Amino acid sequence: MAQIDIQNVQKFFGQLQVLKNLNLTIADGEFVVMLGQSGGGKTTALRAIAGLESVTSGKILINGTEVQDRKAADRDIAFVFQSFSLYPHMNVRENISFPLRAVRMNATERDKAVNEVAEILQIAEHLNRKPSALSGGDMQRVAIARALVRRPQALLMDEPLGVLDAKLREQMRAEIKRLHIARGSTSVYVTHDQIEAMSLADRIVILHDGVLQQVGAPDEVYLHPTNLFVAKFVGSPVMNVNGARIEGNSVTLTGADASFGFPDDALARVRGTQADLALGARPEAVLLEHQPTEGYLEVETTNIEPLGSHDIVDVRLGHTVLRARTASGFVQGQGQKVWARLDPAQTHFFDTATGLNLRGAN
Amino acid sequence: MATAVLTTLDPRSRAASRGMSDIAIRNLFIIPTIVFLIVFNIFPLLYSLGYSFTDFRASSSAPANFVGLQNYRDLLADPFIWNNFTITAKYVIVSVVGQVVVGFGVALLLNRDIPFKGLLTTLLLLPMMLSMAVVGLFWKLLYDPSFGIINYAFGLGTFEWLSNPDMALYAVALTDIWMWSPFVMLLSLAGLSAVPKHLYEAAAIDRAGSLYTFFRITLPLVAPILMIAIIFRTMEAFKTFDLAYILTSQPTTEVISIRLYKMAFQEWQTGMSCALAYIVLIMVLAITNIYVKYLNKVKER
Repeated sequence: MAQIDIQNVQKFFGQLQVLKNLNLTIADGEFVVMLGQSGGGKTTALRAIAGLESVTSGKILINGTEVQDRKAADRDIAFVFQSFSLYPHMNVRENISFPLRAVRMNATERDKAVNEVAEILQIAEHLNRKPSALSGGDMQRVAIARALVRRPQALLMDEPLGVLDAKLREQMRAEIKRLHIARGSTSVYVTHDQIEAMSLADRIVILHDGVLQQVGAPDEVYLHPTNLFVAKFVGSPVMNVNGARIEGNSVTLTGADASFGFPDDALARVRGTQADLALGARPEAVLLEHQPTEGYLEVETTNIEPLGSHDIVDVRLGHTVLRARTASGFVQGQGQKVWARLDPAQTHFFDTATGLNLRGAN
Repeated sequence: MATAVLTTLDPRSRAASRGMSDIAIRNLFIIPTIVFLIVFNIFPLLYSLGYSFTDFRASSSAPANFVGLQNYRDLLADPFIWNNFTITAKYVIVSVVGQVVVGFGVALLLNRDIPFKGLLTTLLLLPMMLSMAVVGLFWKLLYDPSFGIINYAFGLGTFEWLSNPDMALYAVALTDIWMWSPFVMLLSLAGLSAVPKHLYEAAAIDRAGSLYTFFRITLPLVAPILMIAIIFRTMEAFKTFDLAYILTSQPTTEVISIRLYKMAFQEWQTGMSCALAYIVLIMVLAITNIYVKYLNKVKER
């Protein structure tokens, strides 16, 4: 197992720069998830670590050794492809043993390693079948087995669950996590699914337009997004983001006809700025009451998404809409009058020009 | 079988306004082909089967006598015929192996990002598009011992390609390889570009060397389409006539179809030659069947 360092990595495809001065250290045994939209550079970064893509400049170190000029085969890294990339003409056993046969390992050791990894991934009964006879989940298990069988320095996964259906994804997600805990392998995982990222990662790395946006533990990224992109990308449903104006201790949302009162300390760091502000509040930071309450504004419900464990309620405040998360059944229907407030502790203010979070919510 | 292969005719079309149904149109296109096939293929095939049991000679007006299997018995007992078959087999092996090696090799070279790839491929396909007779005539000139460019280029003096009985068959095979390697190349290229790129990436990650990758990934995945190329070329090489006939008239290059031609149209042994034609047909079918069996086995994945 190994530590991976990425230092000042730049990558151009022709004129297009897909990685912009990327710096990242992945600790030994850590599970890092790279999260971002497609085209954000996360897959390129992963392929650069694996050696499937060269870097234009910068260094990649595995256990302190520079590897950016080495071929993929010489980096001792395993890779799980989104499309599985199983060899269609070989059966499962041959697929899993391929990395061992390629380096001429003797047959006894090889069989032992294959049986062991097949046991762990619960595909022992499929060893003599062709990949085309397997279900999507089993195909992915075989791909992971092939990656793990030779005990690589690190395990890289490029959206490995991308082509599976929702239920299987959830199951495989848990399995990957279990496997990581059991094996303790340094893992880098690429996905655009923020739920997958939150549930798997020790640390999440968010990439956008080739620029690293934020690195942090899942809750840190969720609670303290450094900028608007991270704030909007992480979390479902999406954070409420509205233009806002501060006068004294009252905050007025653009299009709203009334303003929320905020305590002094919540606005301390935003007050001095000349920038145009955007207010961000996750649905759980929008608090609703049935009765008129001190500090709450009167709003009208417009839409309700009953999700079973909780409801997402849209409320209209003047010409703007906020989404609130409530206990299920809290609001009965549309057009109801309720009273809303923003939790100052969970409210963020962003500079609309730079996107930066001016005050990390506590 | 598909039950609704016939799509209905667009009622606004010109054909519909002339009162034609879709069935009528289907017949219009298909019946001429079927008639053509019957008149020029099926009928002669059956008619010659009949003649192969007679002593019929197209050059005389004597009536044909039924002789049973005598023609077949005579042919299969004739050592000269077996010699023709041996020559043919040698020719088939040399020429098909040569075409596969050259064609597949060139396909491997072309299967990457190189400038003018399309143009290069098209130019390489030119030999295949020429007429057999033309190819035969100009290779005769290339091989010419006194002024041929091949001897000149390789400094072989007056080496006799076509009049040397030991060399002539290989010279014909070489011409065939030149002409038909592009065909193998074209099919191989299609096969090679159908191998998904991510499999090569997976193999690179799995630390497979380039030779290992070639024999364990590339070759097995291209095998089915390469097999089809080999089937076609084997059948063609087995039936080869024009090239050998035009290039040389050595007894060592008398492949089975030349013998058949001489028997039928120089010696006028029509009945006997029909029997020989049937023997060749059965042999080609048998060889093709072996390949097809193997192909099906390869495709079973």
